[in-house]
Amino acid sequence: MAAAPPSDFNGGKVESSEAGSKWLDAHYDPLASIHTFSACLALADLHGDGEYKLVVGDLGPGGQQPRLKVLKGPRVLTESPLSELPAAAVTFLKDHHEPRTPALALASGPCVYVYKNLRPYFKFSLPPLPVNPLEEDLWDQAKEDRIDPLTLKEMLEGIREKAEVPLSVQSLRFLQLELSEMEAFVNQHKSKAIKRQTVITTMTTLKKNLADEDAVSCLVLGTENRELLVLDPEAFTTLATMKLPSVPAFLEVSGQFDVEFRLAAACRNGNVYILRRDSKCPKYCIELSAQPVGLVRVHKVLVVGSNQDSLHGFTHKGKRLWTVQMPAAILTMNLLEQHSRGLQAVMAGLANGEVRIYQDKTLLNVIRTPDAVTSLCFGRFGREDNTLIMTTRGGGLIIKILKRTAVFVEGGGELGPPPAQATKLSVPRKTRLYVDQTLREREAGTAMHRTFQTDLYLLRLRAARAYVQALESSLSPVSATAREPLKLHAVVQGLGPTFKLTLHLQNTSAARPLLGLLVCFLHNEALYALPRAFFKVPLLVPGLSYPLETFVESLSDKGISDVIKVLVLREGQSAPLLSAHINMPVSEGLAAA
Amino acid sequence: MAEERHPTRTQFPASAETQKPHLKKAPEFPILEKQNWLIHLHYIRKDYEACKAIIKQQLQETQGLCEYAIYVQALIFRLEGNIQESLELFQTCAVLSPQCADNLKQVARSLFLLGKHKAATEVYNEAAKLNQKDWEIYHNLGVCYIYLKQFNKAQDQLHHALQLNRHDLTYIMLGKIHLLVGDLDKAMEIYKKAVEFSPENTELLTTLGLLYLQVGIYQKAFEHLGNALTYDPINYKAILAAGSMMQTHGDFDVALTKYRVVASAVPESPPLWNNIGMCFFGKKKYVAAISCLKRANYLAPFDWKILYNLGLVHLTMQQYASAFHFLSAAINFQPKMGELYMLLAVALTNLEDTENAKRAYDKAVCLDKYNPLINLNYAVLLYNQGEKRDALTQYQEMEKKVNLLKDSSSLEYDSEMVEMAQKLGAALQVGEALVWTKSVKDPKSKQRTTSTSKASGFQQPLGSNQALGQAMSSAAAYSKLPSGKERSQMKNLS
Repeated sequence: MAAAPPSDFNGGKVESSEAGSKWLDAHYDPLASIHTFSACLALADLHGDGEYKLVVGDLGPGGQQPRLKVLKGPRVLTESPLSELPAAAVTFLKDHHEPRTPALALASGPCVYVYKNLRPYFKFSLPPLPVNPLEEDLWDQAKEDRIDPLTLKEMLEGIREKAEVPLSVQSLRFLQLELSEMEAFVNQHKSKAIKRQTVITTMTTLKKNLADEDAVSCLVLGTENRELLVLDPEAFTTLATMKLPSVPAFLEVSGQFDVEFRLAAACRNGNVYILRRDSKCPKYCIELSAQPVGLVRVHKVLVVGSNQDSLHGFTHKGKRLWTVQMPAAILTMNLLEQHSRGLQAVMAGLANGEVRIYQDKTLLNVIRTPDAVTSLCFGRFGREDNTLIMTTRGGGLIIKILKRTAVFVEGGGELGPPPAQATKLSVPRKTRLYVDQTLREREAGTAMHRTFQTDLYLLRLRAARAYVQALESSLSPVSATAREPLKLHAVVQGLGPTFKLTLHLQNTSAARPLLGLLVCFLHNEALYALPRAFFKVPLLVPGLSYPLETFVESLSDKGISDVIKVLVLREGQSAPLLSAHINMPVSEGLAAA
Repeated sequence: MAEERHPTRTQFPASAETQKPHLKKAPEFPILEKQNWLIHLHYIRKDYEACKAIIKQQLQETQGLCEYAIYVQALIFRLEGNIQESLELFQTCAVLSPQCADNLKQVARSLFLLGKHKAATEVYNEAAKLNQKDWEIYHNLGVCYIYLKQFNKAQDQLHHALQLNRHDLTYIMLGKIHLLVGDLDKAMEIYKKAVEFSPENTELLTTLGLLYLQVGIYQKAFEHLGNALTYDPINYKAILAAGSMMQTHGDFDVALTKYRVVASAVPESPPLWNNIGMCFFGKKKYVAAISCLKRANYLAPFDWKILYNLGLVHLTMQQYASAFHFLSAAINFQPKMGELYMLLAVALTNLEDTENAKRAYDKAVCLDKYNPLINLNYAVLLYNQGEKRDALTQYQEMEKKVNLLKDSSSLEYDSEMVEMAQKLGAALQVGEALVWTKSVKDPKSKQRTTSTSKASGFQQPLGSNQALGQAMSSAAAYSKLPSGKERSQMKNLS
């Protein structure tokens, strides 16, 4: 591994933050095209020759071409296609035969494929689930044509509503059909026995009866129908079955099956359940109130990563010990175990392209990678003891070797005050002019104040006067009198010399219609000509806006404009109800001509 | 394969490709849940695009029967903000498996997010019937009731949730109810319990710290805020509160370094710039203080505390005309505070508008019950105007207030203020102002008098406390100015 040519990696990019990094960059191939999860990575001496290989259950780009790849160093040794996507890959010793080469187990769909010496050796299928007896009975009747499709449908629906045991796919599919298709469906499928099958969601290993490194291990499977199965390593019989309240997504086991073991299962409902040897159902429950994204046991502490960007530490009884906040979403987690120094730590691959290594809540190391790491694995690879294997979101493969001199110490990551504390405050600057003005104010503050107050009073007075005047002469476009609540606004359209003037008149009273109103235009007759300067307004229904249109002809060719006043009057009264001043635009048409 | 063993199970050659349909004609149905684990893995690592692709494929294969795929699709829709669509999908899930409480929970959650709290409570109650041990249902029910303003019911539900399983969130919601009702003590009790339960939750620590601050238990407040900061050194709420406490103790430089963190986290926070401004003020960098306060004012133009501080700084800069504007603006927003009128009066006195100054003092005296400074300043003004009798009344009023305060707490007054009062007392010939001597001699805690700003909001309780402390000294500084005149008057008299 150490001999792997460093030629094909971009040293500058893969480098860890510190100059004296703890890691040697062994290999980086951004185009390795490995798309997988941490659960599908395993390191093992598959041929018993002392060369540890990397086993990858590869989902393929877009999860389309699942493959089993075995890598020796950076090279792909063998590659074989899989029929279904691999959910987990583990290596384990299944018997005491010499040479003690580990077997490889690959969980995929409802089966576990066991390989020995990289050759297919055995296939274990999950036992089919019990079918609902009522349902079975119904299909039996259908087989003998003693029941018509419609009754079948009704009966099946009844079972779906109430029964504990869910229906088989066949029945569910049948329930979806239209009336016309039912007959054919029944005829096609009635001879087949109905069955329910589940799939494996996760898999791990559990030592059988010895704690040694090279002891025989059982396989532990988590299934979609909320069960955990422990398989005998030799006969592949089910040794134990445990029930969970939800579907397990990650498993973590310690102990030995024949002695005592603890099983932690992180489930899809956001809880982590802890089971023991003699318990058929969970003994403790950790409620995360978020989705777990990884589960790792470090010594006696269960470390759970949640999708709210945090790592939590729990005791094996489910008591929370600590919480650490991450700078980005956690994508994957795995255990880092350095046997030579007796170190165990958690590695977490984050969405911001960092891999953080924590021992309890102290950050030991941060590795920056060119792409977000989606799967992690640490252990012996080739002949090198401490190798870190990472695959990235884009399908890249990164291999790093921990320097033999490297010692993880606390504070290897960030410590001390946050970096923001070192940046200066951006206090807005003041100009020379500001200072001068300040000085002037100091000298002549009283005068300024007086002038200001006087002007303010004058302003208020003027405003009040103008307001009174407007009220008196109904100059405003809104009439506030109780009898004729009206609103007016005007729009001028066109470039000239002919404009279209539209008045929008609205009766704002709650219920009373208005009748007998007149509109009158006042304008300079030298400048503008209107077809009708005076007309009657139709009855105004409350709430509606009435557009009243008229044309205005501009007579001047000098490019000047004037104001047209619009008055709304009540019949028989000389004082207008309201008025509007319309600033006419300059006639562009004439100017151009 | 050659050395095939013979266990009990069915077995076929495990060569990868071969085990497809072994029974002929009638097509095998795919297992509905085949890719659920993959959907789940993509979902939890927030790879929604990949997730959606698999869901689509899975739904096509199973003709829409895969419940989990629909469920996750709905969750993603909800995260993307399409709540209505997610609600419909969750309802589909509930049809596919009517016995599942989880689907109902999600339906209720979507209803809740759509603001249909009433409907949400109904669905939650339905779900509670299916699963009686789920704290989340009860917690969410409680939250719904909070939004429906049925606080008693909400409390019951939240307590129920706590009994089932304790979660920080439930504590926070319970505390919120008490705060909404205005019951500080109960809220603090809840938060204390919560902190005991999860001592590292910074939100809980910060809130409890702020509550302590609000009731004036500074020691504990600082302790909790400090704890919050050790766990999360960039928690800006805690930094702001702790910083303002440092300001009260005059640690302006430390407070300023702490504020730098906040400035990078929330650069547009008005209380932050207010506090920074007052730090500079404390360090006598007035121009910087004014720029910061003006920024704060720009960010929150209707905050009277910032206007108050601006007025104060301008008074100190002897820019009385500007001070007048800021103070009158502040009074428009907060017409019930005596100190504001006093400062306005000080500005008016300096603008030689004695008439209005007196009226402002009258208003201040009538609003305030505890601050002797107002009466003292008023007395000085009256004395300078030659209205000795009125000045005497104010002086006695001030003595009363001082006596009252001395009984309740041991406070230290600004030395300038004491000196001024003694001088005035001598001038008014009321004999030695005995009231003061004692309090000056035992300067114990450096706590300032004012507790007025307690009613203030959460984030800036002390920025303006600071201001008030300064307000006193600056007002005293003002009263020092005419003291020259005063002395000359005295000489004339004698």
